Amino acid sequence: MIYMQGSFVDKIRSRNFVITAEITPPKGSNPFNAIEDAALIRNLVDAINITDNNRGVMRMSPISLGKVLQQQGYEPIIQMTCRDRNRLALQSDLLGAAALGLKNFCIMTGDHVSCGDHLGAKSVYDLDSVQLISMIRKMESGFDFSGNKLEDPPEFILGAVSNINPLKKGQMLKLRKKATFGLDFIQTQAVYDTEMFKNFCKLIGDLETPIIAGIIPLKSARMARFMNANIPGIHIDGEIIDRLDMSKDPIQEGLDISCEIIKDISDICQGIHLMPVGQHLNTQKLLKQAGF
Amino acid sequence: MIISEDKPIAEILESIENHSSIFIVGCNTCAAKLHVGGEQEILSMKSVLENSGKKVVGWALPTAACSIRSWDHLAEKDRSINKADALLVMACGSGASVISKLGTIDVFPSNNTVSLGGSYKGEVLPDQCKMCGNCTLFYFGGICPYSQCPKKLLNGPCGGCSDDGACETDNDKECVWELIYKKLDEKNSLYLLERIFEPKVNK
Ligand code: SF4
Ligand code: SF4
Repeated sequence: MIYMQGSFVDKIRSRNFVITAEITPPKGSNPFNAIEDAALIRNLVDAINITDNNRGVMRMSPISLGKVLQQQGYEPIIQMTCRDRNRLALQSDLLGAAALGLKNFCIMTGDHVSCGDHLGAKSVYDLDSVQLISMIRKMESGFDFSGNKLEDPPEFILGAVSNINPLKKGQMLKLRKKATFGLDFIQTQAVYDTEMFKNFCKLIGDLETPIIAGIIPLKSARMARFMNANIPGIHIDGEIIDRLDMSKDPIQEGLDISCEIIKDISDICQGIHLMPVGQHLNTQKLLKQAGF
Repeated sequence: MIISEDKPIAEILESIENHSSIFIVGCNTCAAKLHVGGEQEILSMKSVLENSGKKVVGWALPTAACSIRSWDHLAEKDRSINKADALLVMACGSGASVISKLGTIDVFPSNNTVSLGGSYKGEVLPDQCKMCGNCTLFYFGGICPYSQCPKKLLNGPCGGCSDDGACETDNDKECVWELIYKKLDEKNSLYLLERIFEPKVNK
């Protein structure tokens, strides 16, 4: 597999393999820890996803952290959820981001407020992810949601997220709806069941949208069991759990497992998206081991 | 049917703390059906208030608290209402609002209104409609995602639905999109799911 560092946008457009990674903004005003985390993967990834009040937990704005990381030489992908803003706020943030040179967005519904640390806050969902993508494409064509003309329409690279279970027919249908407005990439839920992932790729192959496979290295059998039980769309096989259970060094075993998954699927997808729990302490090791 | 629930009694007593002569108004439609504003509930509220040192001058059970002609019409049911210094309304917020229009007397709600629902085969069904002003119920097999999905998603489920079909926000609740899918499948109408819905026009 050929992997070369370069602009995320160019690589996605020219159908080259991309590596992206996720960073969670700080709960506070100092971006230092996020910068430190990004430094661990400098020159190893093409772009960094920045989460948007992930799990409904209030944190620094991903647009602000995106600008900070961009100034440090990274290419950010701003995650944008439908949970916290109505159509006015979403559009004004999109225009603001474009003015800052932030053009890569990954659109998602967003975890419900009840998952997070601000119970009782209003869950907005004025638009859903399909409608948000459609609105952004309309903005690019020069009009705001209401049809008013925009001066200097923005341009974006737009991604969506997806579960990989083909049996989740409602979710598969929704992905198709998103794709009707043109998706530049799809980032998936973490892959552990590579057969399921292959079926997913086959199922949506006709969309011809680059698929970036989610990778979360497991750290212990406990973590695997927890994820199976609590994270929707995660399918970790008993065999994997046994390996972690029996290993003397479960962290390394988890990296080995991720590495095997990456090798198994990298020919059928167009990239991987690394979402370790915690910091990117082992990301370099994993990528090296996987041959990047 | 408007679904309402009892407020905690301590909250009711606190709200009427500066009033001593209370007249209770129930509602013989939704609140009575839900046992939060019928005759029995009025009588037990009466004794709770009396045990807390309040004077309950009387009570009335109009057919619907949200549809009252006038003060006199309500007073016809029990003249002692004219001696009251506060009305306690055991009905939904809409009922309490209409009763508040009748005069200048202080009106206190004793119920919390939670949703527009219904009841079927004896089971109370909350959140059947969110009164969006543009009904699209048919396209979802008669199960309104705008009302029943906590994210009001019109174009398909979120990624938070568990493998066994539970909603991200409540393990004991089935994802409404699972229900919609099954219902449309049963009706051979899955094609309806392909339609892309525009955002609702909010009022
Ligand atoms: S679409 Fe749903 S919320 Fe709107 S009127 Fe119909 S049932 Fe009510
Ligand atoms: S799991 Fe289903 S019902 Fe719950 S928020 Fe997601 S789409 Fe709505």
